[in-house]
Amino acid sequence: MSTPTAPDAPPPRRRVRAWELPARAVAVASGTVGFAIKIAFLSVVNAIAFWGAFELARQGTWAALAVLLLATAAIDVVYLTPRRLFPLKFLIPGTVFLLAFQIAPIVYNVNIAFTNWSTAHIGTKTEAIAAIQRNSLAEAPDGGQYVMRPARAEDGTVVLILFDEESEQGFVGSREGLEEAPEGSVRLDENFEIASAPAGYTLVRPDELLALDRQLADYIIPVDGISAIRAEGFDTALELQPTLRYDRGSDTFTRIEDGTVFRDNELGSYVASRGEELEPGWKTGVGLRNFSAVLNDPLVRDPFVRVFIWTFAFATLTVLFSFALGLFLAIVLDKPGMRFQRLYRSLLVIPYAIPGFLSVLVWAGLLNDDFGVVNNAFGLSVPWLFDPDWAKVSIIIVSTWLTFPYFFLVSMGALQSIPGELIEAAKVDGGGRTQIFRRVTLPLLLVAVAPLLIASFAFNFNNFGNIYFLTGGGPPAEDQSVAGATDILITYTYKIAFESGKGQDYGLASAVSIFIFFIVAAISAVAFWRSKSLENLA
Amino acid sequence: MRKNVWRVLPGALLAMVAMLLLAGPVGAARDAAATTVTIWTDADRKAAVDKIASAWGTARGVNVVVVQKDFGRIRDDLKTVQPETAPDVIVGAHDWTGDLAASGLVLPLNPRKAIRDKFPQYTLDAFSYGTAVKKLYGAPVVVENIGLVVNTRLAKVPTSFANLQQQALAFKKKRAGNIAIAVQQGANGDAYHMYPFFSGLCGYVFGKNKVGNLDASDIGLRAPAFLRNTTLIDQWNRLGLVNAKVDDGAASNAFLSGKAAFWLTGPWNADRITKAKIPFRVVQVPAIKCKSVPFLGSQGFMATKFARTHGVESAAKDLVGDYMMRADSQLALSRANGRFPANTDAAKRVTNPVLKQFGAAGVGGVPMPNIPQMGSVWSDLGAAWVKSTRGSGAIKARTAFSTAARNIANKIG
Repeated sequence: MSTPTAPDAPPPRRRVRAWELPARAVAVASGTVGFAIKIAFLSVVNAIAFWGAFELARQGTWAALAVLLLATAAIDVVYLTPRRLFPLKFLIPGTVFLLAFQIAPIVYNVNIAFTNWSTAHIGTKTEAIAAIQRNSLAEAPDGGQYVMRPARAEDGTVVLILFDEESEQGFVGSREGLEEAPEGSVRLDENFEIASAPAGYTLVRPDELLALDRQLADYIIPVDGISAIRAEGFDTALELQPTLRYDRGSDTFTRIEDGTVFRDNELGSYVASRGEELEPGWKTGVGLRNFSAVLNDPLVRDPFVRVFIWTFAFATLTVLFSFALGLFLAIVLDKPGMRFQRLYRSLLVIPYAIPGFLSVLVWAGLLNDDFGVVNNAFGLSVPWLFDPDWAKVSIIIVSTWLTFPYFFLVSMGALQSIPGELIEAAKVDGGGRTQIFRRVTLPLLLVAVAPLLIASFAFNFNNFGNIYFLTGGGPPAEDQSVAGATDILITYTYKIAFESGKGQDYGLASAVSIFIFFIVAAISAVAFWRSKSLENLA
Repeated sequence: MRKNVWRVLPGALLAMVAMLLLAGPVGAARDAAATTVTIWTDADRKAAVDKIASAWGTARGVNVVVVQKDFGRIRDDLKTVQPETAPDVIVGAHDWTGDLAASGLVLPLNPRKAIRDKFPQYTLDAFSYGTAVKKLYGAPVVVENIGLVVNTRLAKVPTSFANLQQQALAFKKKRAGNIAIAVQQGANGDAYHMYPFFSGLCGYVFGKNKVGNLDASDIGLRAPAFLRNTTLIDQWNRLGLVNAKVDDGAASNAFLSGKAAFWLTGPWNADRITKAKIPFRVVQVPAIKCKSVPFLGSQGFMATKFARTHGVESAAKDLVGDYMMRADSQLALSRANGRFPANTDAAKRVTNPVLKQFGAAGVGGVPMPNIPQMGSVWSDLGAAWVKSTRGSGAIKARTAFSTAARNIANKIG
């Protein structure tokens, strides 16, 4: 205040404390600039909602449309009303993201588990009926095949001009039937395309064809009995006859050749009494079938215990070893005054920094039994990937390699947060090094790290990538089942759902993943409950 | 209160403007959709498909949009795609045919006989499916298969299987680290690359039913003739003629560095061999007990059910079932990714000697089964080979293959 050059210098800036930040943000957001930003954001939200509403209305999903409109209106009201709904302004974004990225996928997944969604059960029943009908069209015996070109009669109706290359005969086909054209009135050009039409008809210009697409696709020229000539693309037509007949009244298909009747089996397929099934079927609810398949299907059930034990062992050992190694290195590198300490620390984080699947693929090469670096360099002949037990060892080594830097970093931080006075006090009380570690450091460390250990366990329990890229679940297990020796539950699920049976089975996969969810949730719950006792120490 | 109204009003106006701006292009895109044909293709073929499809588009007045996708994702994404963004035409492998046709996702094609006659029957069979009526669901464009690549500096083109065995084993003894026949397996096996040995021992995957479609209940892994011949596999394992521990990387490294004189691989590795300046010839594996034919793979185009809902069904069928089956289109596509064209007129015009040799190595080959049940076969057939050819820990081939047959039968149900 005394210096003349700065008569009204502002008071020194006070450091903003973390807990003040929200209030400050609100202060900024209440000005005109803030208001503009808010309106811009709201406009985007409204525009997206409007687009969504448009789509939903078009698809006729009214319930979802109502929810969307109400939610958007609520958001607008909350953000445009000053003050009164203040807390909601902070709750809404979090809630929206929670709903969109956590709740919605779970609901979707659970929903799928109750359907038969799989290969041959993809579309709706209406689509399935149409597909069965069109797939059942067979070429009529001795049926004609024609070069085709659409033309218009004088009254504008579309007809098909046809030319049979074998008999060199031209025809005019309409929805009423087929008529021979006067001799020589239909001719082909050098590209074997129809170049002229009989009198009274004008050929459709090539650039008009696209506008006629829908008409052409469904154009039927009835021939005798059940056969009909249909257009195929823009310049072919041929005589096809159905091999199945659909009856709308009884909702059945009948095979024309032998009278076999196919009925809706309530599970998304038309099935004959002898078990023959028409493809495609459709996606429909099947109740608890997928869940009972998990419990009753020998493919799933038989190796389940073996796979479950290995999954548990894999996740536990990976977490245990990587934590032990990470902690050990953190303690070793914690020594004050060590040279190149930062370099060592950076080097140790490298396995963590490289994309996991890349490291895993490199390891797969290194561990090759006959040609890998590991065996050749050390003169070993360990069947790293071909022996069921050694493959398990390889998996755990590689997983530990990938996970230890994480625990190294975490332990390094946690060690520094343990008050030095405590260690000092323990020393004064005459505690030895190992005693101090076991009684003081480790328990205090575990308070901070235990939740991360549990999280890491849950993650590794479903660590698809490591298994899939290193061994692919292999080698084949000695019990000769479908599960390989190193398959964990999630890779085994993948094999059952996507690489076996009749193509892909999303419904079954969802059901199995729900089982896995409950297993992981149960284990984690027990672990969290146990780790509560650690917190009493702090 | 009045002040509030004034604060809300500009906001509401702005929101309206934003809505209109966003909704405008959406509406416009929908109008244009009726004259657009969308094609999903993989990176390898993108440029060629762009060129050929846009030539067709210009002639037909159609706006063609080519979308690049990871090849393996095309099949699975077709099952979950939203109708608005769905493709009308896809590039696909013939062994997807059963899966996609059974799901009602692709449209049957009925090309004229004059067009069909330009294709070897097996390429059309490869894209045909149906338990009751067999229909064509795709236009074959290129075919590919593996062959026995012989390093002619290190070995002679084998005259018989006994000759191949004798040369390969002699080469292996010359130096530690040499591989007799480089054929990739790895811990989970590779039934595709082992197929010439499998068919040579009179094995097959599925038999055929009376309409000529594959019959999943006739499993050739347990055919008596094949099981009798499996003692040869045990013998090969003892001699080290084939070794399950040779994986993809080991096989290519060995051949490219001169540590293997024989390599079973496909045209996708032709460039690497040429670059390594290795003089080579490609032949079919000599017959063992039966002809040692490879699996044949074919890639082509399919028209999807979405073409129908988009109102471009005839256009998509014109592109797939007619234009893409012509010799010129086929030749251009085959050049673009170094494969043999399916159309016989185009095949006659192939000049690349390596492609011709691979073509000859595939004569009599078997198209990979295209029924959805094939998913059950790959892993078990591969595993049977691994179990019986992994060196000292191997089990009897007869046991391994019988087990695989039982597993496959269980999975198919």
